[in-house]
Amino acid sequence: METMEDMETLLGQGRQAIGLIFDPDSFTENKVGAKTFDDPDFGPGAVVGTAELDGKPVTVIANDADAFNEKFPVVYAGVIGMEEAYKMAQAVYATVAADAAKPKAEKQAIVLVVDTPGNGPGKTEEIFGMNKATGAYQLALAEARIAGHPIVAMVIGRAISGAFLCHGLQADQILSLDAKFGTMIHVMPLTSISRIVKKDIEVLEKLAEGNPVFAAGPQFFYRLGGVEEIVPTIEAMRATVIAHVAEVRGRKANGEDDTLGPWGRGALGAERGGRTVRPEVIALLEKELDAVASKYLPGAA
Amino acid sequence: MSNWSALQNRSFLESNARARAVGLVDEGSFTEFVGPFDRRTSPHLEVLGEAVEFDDGIVTGIGKIGKTPVFMISQEGRFIGGAVGEVGGAKMVGALKAARAFAEKIAKDFPKAKEEEKPIVVISFETGGVRLHEANAGLLAHAEVMDQFQRCRGIVPVVSVIGSKVGCFGGMGFVAAAADVVVMSEFGRLGLTGPEVIEQEMGKEEFDSADRGLVFRTTGGRHKYIMGDCNFLVDDTIAAFRKQLAELGKTPRAKFAEFRRIGSPELVEKQLKRVALAAEMQPKDARDVWAKAGNADPAALGNAPLDDFRKAVKRLTV
Repeated sequence: METMEDMETLLGQGRQAIGLIFDPDSFTENKVGAKTFDDPDFGPGAVVGTAELDGKPVTVIANDADAFNEKFPVVYAGVIGMEEAYKMAQAVYATVAADAAKPKAEKQAIVLVVDTPGNGPGKTEEIFGMNKATGAYQLALAEARIAGHPIVAMVIGRAISGAFLCHGLQADQILSLDAKFGTMIHVMPLTSISRIVKKDIEVLEKLAEGNPVFAAGPQFFYRLGGVEEIVPTIEAMRATVIAHVAEVRGRKANGEDDTLGPWGRGALGAERGGRTVRPEVIALLEKELDAVASKYLPGAA
Repeated sequence: MSNWSALQNRSFLESNARARAVGLVDEGSFTEFVGPFDRRTSPHLEVLGEAVEFDDGIVTGIGKIGKTPVFMISQEGRFIGGAVGEVGGAKMVGALKAARAFAEKIAKDFPKAKEEEKPIVVISFETGGVRLHEANAGLLAHAEVMDQFQRCRGIVPVVSVIGSKVGCFGGMGFVAAAADVVVMSEFGRLGLTGPEVIEQEMGKEEFDSADRGLVFRTTGGRHKYIMGDCNFLVDDTIAAFRKQLAELGKTPRAKFAEFRRIGSPELVEKQLKRVALAAEMQPKDARDVWAKAGNADPAALGNAPLDDFRKAVKRLTV
């Protein structure tokens, strides 16, 4: 058996990553709260279930790069198809429902193990609306996060564009294995961007040193606030996820929700110097609204 | 800017973002936020030596339709395909957040406000999603917009308007679907993966991206109306969109949840029935699904004048 020290990458190994992050042998697949997922052919690219993390139950949502969805042939290698996205949404809603009566501090955490190259890019997907499936999962995660469930995403492989928006970017905090383990976070690789924006790749690489907004890789997302912390080794993953679940729970208990999720990443992006214009624009917009708001209130002429 | 009355009968498709924003609300009522005079341009385009726009390709502001305050976000497809970067994304996020705060203020300070005096948010989408020149910042902005959508629920309704040349694709394709209401013209297109990418993935025999009819049948307003992904299918004039928005402005806010297609466990179950139908049918063409919905002659339906289409069409009830 491969030991952790031998592993150079977890890319394509979502199930193995579950074994490394959560308490040994604690993962029960296909059961979340009162919900069971009984059809093995339903959304096989999505792995959902409940595990224990440091002795506490957590909902696990991961990708299975080895699965192939026979019904939707564009879904393989970790692609999130329509069934996969709705299955992931069901796991989130089941988590929310199970804890509906619990106080905020006791809401079960959700850990997203992220390794996905994209959403289903097929004709059937467009006819029936792949956009709804991925949107549904994001709304479910946002609802759970706002309700108080700590959500931590751990990028172990690919976190690409729309699939990362779907599975990752609605979390409270996002962690990523260091790029040396083959992790990829991007909209497009720099070679494609180079073609589209018509700039030599060498020029772009040079520019990326000073400006992280277009280059591919977790280190650039870190500078933009898009990744909270880079995890330096595979061994460190488990302790880092445990620490961040606790950190998120603590911040929520202190009413610091504004430092978490997509909005919190905005502030972090400014703090790290990667996205400094965003807060200025938002503040200016609010100021300009304030100046005229009375004209638009009920009863105004 | 041509005068407001002249805008009304203009094609929505042919108009630009500012004409849409101004024309969709009452004459003289529009106040733009972070407009061209503020010159908030993209620093990232500048670094790459690209042309910038003083509004970064997104018009944001507030106007009124009748008594309804309307927060407006209007994307400009003529500027880098309407793609969203840091500044434009921040304008969207800022406008949504401001709309929410405004709605909460009215609820608190004007407890007797009539329904039509409460605000709505209107987003005219014309975009392929993320602006690649600043891809990472654009991606992060998408997640923020989605988060704001969820936070707006039950506080201020969000209406997607799609009737532009570029359509609404990529990450913004799921943002638009996550709104409370979707209003389209037959020329509007909504999806996730653009036609060229599907062709690349599936081969030309399966999907020929040069076949305009096929592209429109797959993502166009008529198809999305049959699927229930678009709530209202209107004529291609600014006035027609405006009339629909005026009706929505008077609609009780509690009713907006009924327009939704996603956003609750129940809606997920409903959509999953359709996914099962997709697996069962393996449709070669959107017309197969139109027939399944009970339309005997899908080809004729697709070509019928819009009024006849609206009268005759049967929408999918699965």
